[in-house]
Amino acid sequence: MWKYIVGRLVWIPFLLIAVAFITFILGRFGPGDPVEVMMGTKYNPVVAERIRSEMGLDKPVMVQFYKYIQSASKGDFGESFRFRGRSVSSLIAPKMIVSAKLSLVALLISISIGLPLGFYIAHKQGTWIDPLIVSFSVFFMSIPIMITIPFLLWIGCLKTNLVPCSGWGGIFDSRIIIPALAMGIPGVAGMLRIMRATTLDVLGQDYIRTAQSKGLHYFTVSTRHVFRNSIIPIVTILAFSLAGLLGGAFITETIMGIPGIGRFSVESIFNRDYPVIMAITLIGATAFVIANLMADISYSIIDPRIRYK
Amino acid sequence: MWICKNKLLFKVIFSSLLLIFLISCSSDSGEKNVDQFTNTSEKVLSEKKNNNNIVSAGKQLNVLYSDPPTLDPHRAQDSTSAGIILEIYSGLVSLDTNLQIIPDIAESWAISNDGMKYTFKLRDNAKFHNGKKITSADFVWSFNRAANPATTSITAEDYLGDIVGVQDVIDGKTDKISGIKLIDELTLEINIDSPKAYFLAKLTYPVSFVLDSENVKNKNWTDSPNGSGPFMLDEYLIGEKLLLKRNPDWYREPAKIEYVSMNLAGGQAMAMYENGEIDLTGVGMADLERVLDPSSDLNKDVVIAPLSFSQYYIGFNVQKPPFDDKYFRQALAHAINKELIANEVLSGMVKPAYGILPPGFPGYDKTIDGLKFNEQLAKDMLAKSKYSNINDLPRLILSVPGTGGSAGLDIEVIIEMWKQTLGIEVEIQQVEWATFLQMLNRQELQFFSGLGWIADYPDPENFLDINFHSTKSTNHNGYKNEEVDKLLESARIEQDLNNRMQMYNNAERIIVDEAPWIPLWFPGDRYVLINQRVKNYKLTPMSVPKYSLVEIVD
Amino acid sequence: MNKNITQSKGHFMTALSRLFRKKIAVVCIAILIIIYFSGIFAFLIAPYEYTAQDYSNIKKPPSIEHWMGTDRAGRDVFSRVLWGVQNTVIITFVAILTGSIFIGVGLGLISGYRGGRVDSLIMRIGEISSSFPDILLVIILAATLRPRILGFIRYLEDAYNINGLVKTGIVDYLVISLALVSFGWIGTARLMRAQVLSIKQNQYIDSAKSIGASTSRILFLHLMPNAISPLVVSITMGMGALVGTEIILSWLGLGVQPPRPSLGRMLLEGGSISVLREEPWLLIGPGIVVFLLIICWNLLGDSLSDVLNPRTR
Repeated sequence: MWKYIVGRLVWIPFLLIAVAFITFILGRFGPGDPVEVMMGTKYNPVVAERIRSEMGLDKPVMVQFYKYIQSASKGDFGESFRFRGRSVSSLIAPKMIVSAKLSLVALLISISIGLPLGFYIAHKQGTWIDPLIVSFSVFFMSIPIMITIPFLLWIGCLKTNLVPCSGWGGIFDSRIIIPALAMGIPGVAGMLRIMRATTLDVLGQDYIRTAQSKGLHYFTVSTRHVFRNSIIPIVTILAFSLAGLLGGAFITETIMGIPGIGRFSVESIFNRDYPVIMAITLIGATAFVIANLMADISYSIIDPRIRYK
Repeated sequence: MWICKNKLLFKVIFSSLLLIFLISCSSDSGEKNVDQFTNTSEKVLSEKKNNNNIVSAGKQLNVLYSDPPTLDPHRAQDSTSAGIILEIYSGLVSLDTNLQIIPDIAESWAISNDGMKYTFKLRDNAKFHNGKKITSADFVWSFNRAANPATTSITAEDYLGDIVGVQDVIDGKTDKISGIKLIDELTLEINIDSPKAYFLAKLTYPVSFVLDSENVKNKNWTDSPNGSGPFMLDEYLIGEKLLLKRNPDWYREPAKIEYVSMNLAGGQAMAMYENGEIDLTGVGMADLERVLDPSSDLNKDVVIAPLSFSQYYIGFNVQKPPFDDKYFRQALAHAINKELIANEVLSGMVKPAYGILPPGFPGYDKTIDGLKFNEQLAKDMLAKSKYSNINDLPRLILSVPGTGGSAGLDIEVIIEMWKQTLGIEVEIQQVEWATFLQMLNRQELQFFSGLGWIADYPDPENFLDINFHSTKSTNHNGYKNEEVDKLLESARIEQDLNNRMQMYNNAERIIVDEAPWIPLWFPGDRYVLINQRVKNYKLTPMSVPKYSLVEIVD
Repeated sequence: MNKNITQSKGHFMTALSRLFRKKIAVVCIAILIIIYFSGIFAFLIAPYEYTAQDYSNIKKPPSIEHWMGTDRAGRDVFSRVLWGVQNTVIITFVAILTGSIFIGVGLGLISGYRGGRVDSLIMRIGEISSSFPDILLVIILAATLRPRILGFIRYLEDAYNINGLVKTGIVDYLVISLALVSFGWIGTARLMRAQVLSIKQNQYIDSAKSIGASTSRILFLHLMPNAISPLVVSITMGMGALVGTEIILSWLGLGVQPPRPSLGRMLLEGGSISVLREEPWLLIGPGIVVFLLIICWNLLGDSLSDVLNPRTR
């Protein structure tokens, strides 16, 4: 087990360097140039050359890459090309926190609706309630977010004036309601399915029947077992939604005017802000790898039948 | 400066979603308050501190804005940054609401008879935000900094390049601009290389603003800039909010409102306006009918904005076939029914353009009315061109910058018009902005649209010379006409205003007729909503300092 | 051996008949077939050209002539939706076929069957490609690849005198599919690998080997039939997500090029409160089609997983 974890951890730096290299190469050899974007169409080759050398973009690619990796490994992601003079970390850190908060609230919505509902309908298997609720959750999952948000805004902000139309004020601000709902409701279907499946699984087990026959309260028994069994997939989902937080919410962030990382990363690509793109990709990849590892480890801890060599 | 048209159209059409790629277009912001204010400053010269009773204490103007790429005036080159910089910093001269050059820190100036030596007299009450007095030494230092290659200014060449010795500093040969002389504490002399009438207008651009050398030494100094403008930067959270606070000791008439709060996060502008979150917004096409309906609540807030000093066009690379043939270009121009598109498809949000200079721009001549819609003429021109057999035409690829949004409904309609009138098939190629720029700069695009030119200062030179003189790197059309070149060159140094405008008009006439580009629209948010509580918010066709005149009543 | 095949066929037929007993699944299949067919045959069904402009009919609400109304250029929204569906159909199919089925299944089988270095190489590459924030990678690829591929196709057209290749939108399909495939294969590959690993333990594989069956024969005759049901489920489930991704790409301007209509761009243009209030049909038409596409794939995936995976029943 420990050997397995160490093996995975040792692999991470190599993976990250590979990810960084691919991003770097795609950026440098793809069309488009940060200096030209900066200058708009007021391009003057002489000025551009001057600024390029000032930014170190005139050096050979491998030298640039080596330098980048060197400083990135020390946690220094350099300066943004677009917001000149600002360090990448000072730019993206607050945005990541904003996105994390939003995802967290959205996730809470998914969980608090999905889990009880899934538990409930598992007991109603065979009746019309089960397929109806499942279909409803899929229904909500399938509405494209570009439609949900204007619709929610129309109702919540213009018709009833319940919440401001856009902006951001943290978790305890009414402005989080619409984006969190728009992102959280589609997630209900996933949670509901997991809960339904694990509950059905548990209900089919002999020990439930035994416990019942021994006179134990049915509800306590089933919830305890269901909880134990459903926690693995839920932990996995949590870990991955943490990693997928980058880029995932950019439509919501754009429409709702939320200063999150998703929108920022998309803008950065279009502006060829390489240092920012690199940092976001690297952080995203790290988060993903760690989430993966955590999921695997938690599998084996929670369910001893799973062993890693 | 250039703007990505796609974005504007995008905005015009869906004003709500537009904030996405604003910056990618390094363009005019989603906020169409292309306008301003002014203080007719001469009158205001007297000490205005006792004027504080006018101030509506704590009053705040709320606007939607987008992230400025930089707040360093010497590095800025986009109007999003400029819109904020103009409020925080100031320079020798400024523009008023009528786009006339007015004294700012310089209270007066004298121009030598040969038109090459400018002597500025600074006011003696001009101070930075921290109270430090502004002297000519500060200006000398600021000009030197702007030109220094370490500053990596993009605009220094264009805006300061006329000053003797600036090029040497940019090239790193020296760090002192030889043409700028400090005469005494409040007197500054600037020598330029030839008598250029538009030089003073260039000094209104941020790259010639004054900075405090002590302030600039600090790391991340733009987070707490010690400027000299009517507002101070109070709070800046990237992507969230920018708060400007009134500078009570401004040397001109201080602002009448306490704060300007800029929402940088974006969102659905129209909904935010209706919800009272912002005080002004442009009206998108989808809302136009509702807003113009006299029974609507919003109707009383509608203000008609002047057209901005910009133009959208279809540009041809006249070096590449088939656009090397004037008749072919004219045929395409005659086949476009601009009136129909402007009025029906774009709901009257734009004005069809037939000349290059926008209405109201210095040198605008309404008798220039270009190549009008005429199907027969279009066919005749095509027949006259060497590409009269359209089957032998090379492939036609119209490139538009595209990041988020459609290629522009107008372009799709125009292509359909070409197909129906002339039988010419055109492919649209939507190119992501960064790639588009690169191809444009290398003149790799056969013809392109989705770009607009916005004037940086109100002088025809900034429209005609910069886009059509054969030696300019901003001439993306490969257009070269010796007569036009000659006219533009002599207009640069012509001292007599009427003669000068006459030269520009003659050049413009030739350009319009030869059609290296087809002018399409003079855009602008024709309709702007301004909350009733906001008074004296002037809409102008260019970015100029504007917030200090605004008043808020309740 | 033969018995095995018939058995799996039987398994399949029972699954199929069980599927058809589910009303939701049947409805979804019917809707999907209708949408896909009308997309593929848009050139026959669409009442108008997607570029046909009618300036006397601008922004008209739905009527007999224009079932979904008209847009700002007086174009028929219904026809544009049909053509938009065609793009979605092509892109989802290409991405699924090449990404999930061809590359994913192939690499998964090889990885699971060969094991050792080949296995770890494939899985490592998969890990790298899946650890990219996927939507970012798609954007980077789409932005950087398009000009190259476009240039190449134009060169082909000119060199071999072929006409209209670019007009068919092939470039966009290639770019988008490539971008989607680049991270889309890994899920299927993992799934196949896991299946192969578990089936490999079974005795009949050993016995097949012992009688001298070749590797490919073993793979396809024995492993495929057993691994196919989870594969079908995962692909069906993935289709809905893929439709969504394609729409996000168009939303960003990286999808199919105008004047070809695309569902994502139509949603973008209609997706504001203002449009919802004034010209709701601009959003409702394409919105409903996108919604139906996604929901039917999702519900079908659900039903399939119920049918093919009896444990969760």
